[in-house]
Amino acid sequence: MKYVIVLLLMMITAAAQATEDKYNFATAEREQTFRELTHELRCPKCQNQNIADSDAVVAKDLRDKVIALVNEGQSKQEVIDYMIDRYGYFVHYQPPVTPATIVLWVLPVAIIILGFGFIVFRQKRAAKKQDWNAADEQKLTELINQYQRQEREQ
Amino acid sequence: MNRKLLGLVPFLIFIFLCVFLYQGLFGNPREIQTGRLGHTMPEFSLPDLMDSDKIWTADSLKGEVYLMNVWGTWCPTCIAELGYLTELRERGVKIIGLYYEQAYDPDFGDQFDINALRQDVNNMLSRAGNPYQFNILDLERTLALDLGVSGAPETFLVDKQGKILLHHTGDINERVWRTKFAAIYQELAQ
Repeated sequence: MKYVIVLLLMMITAAAQATEDKYNFATAEREQTFRELTHELRCPKCQNQNIADSDAVVAKDLRDKVIALVNEGQSKQEVIDYMIDRYGYFVHYQPPVTPATIVLWVLPVAIIILGFGFIVFRQKRAAKKQDWNAADEQKLTELINQYQRQEREQ
Repeated sequence: MNRKLLGLVPFLIFIFLCVFLYQGLFGNPREIQTGRLGHTMPEFSLPDLMDSDKIWTADSLKGEVYLMNVWGTWCPTCIAELGYLTELRERGVKIIGLYYEQAYDPDFGDQFDINALRQDVNNMLSRAGNPYQFNILDLERTLALDLGVSGAPETFLVDKQGKILLHHTGDINERVWRTKFAAIYQELAQ
């Protein structure tokens, strides 16, 4: 009997699923723009959530504003600029390229180039070192003969 | 010689990263600056909290240096700073309240009881101190959005021409006032 109750309870919780707000848009493109924007705009109150994900009052206000602007026919970039005007670059998950942030793009590429450069440099140097002359050849033959003799004697 | 220098490169990168990450330890992620900094107060037209017939606009606030304090009776930190703000008022600082109503959401067809809110605000201000010349009611949080407000309390310092010079997230106390506001305020008030 106990197991039946537990099983029933488990079925009930499985039925309780998260639902997303439903909004009406004139065109499918506008709805798509809205979805993209709410996933790209960052909630100013909750730091690591986008405004689609957050239940904060300000996230709801921003969502409503995005809907209003999209329904006015504004483009994605126009809405992003509108939000950045008010909340600063913080509000967008894509940081702008400025002298202060350029290092984010340059550093990874620079490290990869540096690494490969280092490998190539080392190989070239190792290859260059192998100058081989008659004296070396003579010494090698002697050594081979010596070891062959040793092996025969054993 | 050259080789030795090359060997130093990983070490230098390590030092650079240390300095970079060390700075991050002391950054405050809650400190978000409004995109409006250095710009004039956005246009608005909102009623006085205590008198719905009285309408405030960006222009009607020009001519004086003032603090705009975003607050609500639902916000404990806002209540905590009322005492210090009242002290500032007594020292001659003009403080305007922007009442941020959190519970109201027109999408749910909420009935808003303005009289209950006025009663609530009056009770709170008579108990904790009243730093405000007057309060602007931003029921739908439109001015708050235009100012880049993410919650309460937040405070803006605005000059005589209506330019926003400072944006502070969190409460104002003696320390914050001295380190962040005092110098700029003194300069403006002269």
